[in-house]
Amino acid sequence: MTAVVPSPPPFDPELGAALAVLGEQLPPALTPEMIPLLRQGAAVMGTISDDDLRRGGKFTVEERAVPGLDGDPDVSLLICRPTGATGMLGCVYHTHGGGMILGDNRAGIDLMLDFAEEFGLVVVSVEYRLAPETPHPGPVNDCYAGLLWTAAHAGELGFDPGRLIVAGGSAGGGLAAALALMARDLGGPELLGQLLICPMLDDRNGSASAVQMQGLGIWDRTANRTGWGALLGAAAGGPDVSPYAAPARAADLGNLPPAFIDVGSAETFRDEDVAYATRIWQAGGRAELHVWPGGFHGFDMMAPTAVISQDARQARFRWLNRMLNA
Amino acid sequence: MRLAALDADASAAVQVIAYFDGLVEAGAGLQSIVRGAAVLAGCPARLDDTARRVHIRMLPDGIAAPAPLAGGEHRADDKDTERRAGDERWPGAAAGTAVLRLERSGAAGPVDAMVLERAAAAARAVLDRTRGRAPAADQPAMVELLVDASAPADARLRAGRLLGLAADTTAYAMVRHGGEIRVLSGDADPPYGRAGIGPAVPVLDLPVSHDAARIAVRFTAAGTDDDPGEPIIRYGELGALAMLTHVPEPGAVPDVRVLEQAGTPWLLPTLHAVTTTASLRAAATHLRLHHSTLQDRVAQAEHLLGWSLHDQAGLLRTHLALILRRLHRNP
Repeated sequence: MTAVVPSPPPFDPELGAALAVLGEQLPPALTPEMIPLLRQGAAVMGTISDDDLRRGGKFTVEERAVPGLDGDPDVSLLICRPTGATGMLGCVYHTHGGGMILGDNRAGIDLMLDFAEEFGLVVVSVEYRLAPETPHPGPVNDCYAGLLWTAAHAGELGFDPGRLIVAGGSAGGGLAAALALMARDLGGPELLGQLLICPMLDDRNGSASAVQMQGLGIWDRTANRTGWGALLGAAAGGPDVSPYAAPARAADLGNLPPAFIDVGSAETFRDEDVAYATRIWQAGGRAELHVWPGGFHGFDMMAPTAVISQDARQARFRWLNRMLNA
Repeated sequence: MRLAALDADASAAVQVIAYFDGLVEAGAGLQSIVRGAAVLAGCPARLDDTARRVHIRMLPDGIAAPAPLAGGEHRADDKDTERRAGDERWPGAAAGTAVLRLERSGAAGPVDAMVLERAAAAARAVLDRTRGRAPAADQPAMVELLVDASAPADARLRAGRLLGLAADTTAYAMVRHGGEIRVLSGDADPPYGRAGIGPAVPVLDLPVSHDAARIAVRFTAAGTDDDPGEPIIRYGELGALAMLTHVPEPGAVPDVRVLEQAGTPWLLPTLHAVTTTASLRAAATHLRLHHSTLQDRVAQAEHLLGWSLHDQAGLLRTHLALILRRLHRNP
């Protein structure tokens, strides 16, 4: 009997149109040979200057090298502090996306700065080492080392340690979820929340959505195999993968900080992200899940003007408002 | 990598086509289409269909933003007038009874023309599909009745109702260059195109508004070098100038003959700019000329005309001659 792959959900009309334009620049399927070229492309497109980060004086910008975990090399943290905020600040600790193989700690930081402006947050964005040069656990350990340092220096950075949130998109969402697991298991800092934007959670890469979206949209099953393969090598998809590499592998999702999870219905990660939220609820935890119909991976970043992107963005602000101000 | 970051190269046009094709294929709605136009052109975009009462305006960041003021004649003030005057200079494309415009007052963007063409075509398809045929606001017989003072009042009120105008609301008449008459609700913007606009009045007073619009349309211009001036003229703004329509043979006025016989292509637009702006410097900006170039032209113009353009009397004389020429051309 031949397995029938059901047809994929359609893209949102505006997102589909955007994809028709953008897809030429970023094909769905990425293979390991493409990593150097992708990094070059990302370097060309994604240069955010210190001036951009300062936003006309709204933030001070600083880079700090802090100790790595267990004798690992120093980890660089990009620290943006709001200049005009009054009262006690919070902090968003940001792990950038890029499939574990791409990007730097300025990728995706615009959204964090938007959060920071709205809610009075210090932004700390970690420059973790990338796969495949640094396989698991190097990347997540770098992130955790930066988190430990950040929490321990809350006073110096000027934020209330009770208002610390981890946040990230895509691979960064997976890393943020892993940080919440590590902090719980290893006696790390108490987190106020975990903001997981279309997070990359499951190295098994075999969900219905992964199969359904093969060759479509952004970051399809082939690209996902490239990312997980770089991080885990031959272990990817096998029996012995740490939940700190792939949070979906965690046997216990109880006692985690409140989670915000969003994802598109037309992307590889849909089912693993829905499952993660479901398992948090089943474990008695708090999670807010948004599945945006017809959204491809990272749609709100790539097509920020689409109305569904505006809605998705607002949902995050509303969740943060409940976390920080309610 | 973002959608708005289109380059000014050939592939940008291809991307515009791909984008709107994508929208049409997916059955996207009007808001998505107007939003796409604003995002891709990088300036506010709007779709107005007065007959169907569709008004959509989007900013280049994709946020919906209703027009700053969508008032009718009865609410018009200086600012409103300025904004409406701007409307007519914005590039636009017809989408059936609607018009899609880019709120671009400076130089055209690299993909403006392509965006207008594609977005207007997409919008027309959606309007026809979702809003049905435009309501009967253009039915000529009804409109003729509404502006006919000799018709019985109850017949005119009935015609008004059929056109969607209640007895207790205001409406205004619009006469297009070419003679077509339209009647629009007092709170509706006039549609795109060259026309005279009467004041907003109670439905039964529409014959008065129509008379006014017929006068106003004679003051409109094509906006070309040969016929410089504004495409939309409101009767209420003419004031005493409306009396000039009583001049029996404006073409026979000697100053008008001077203008007609000058035969210098830049003369009329130059005179129009000089007589309708506050300073020579403003006129130069309007004409996109260097200040000193304009000064040379003004000196030559004075020579051709035989009177001064450097005093109020000479400017008024010129302004009147231009208006009389327009009346001559729009009998």
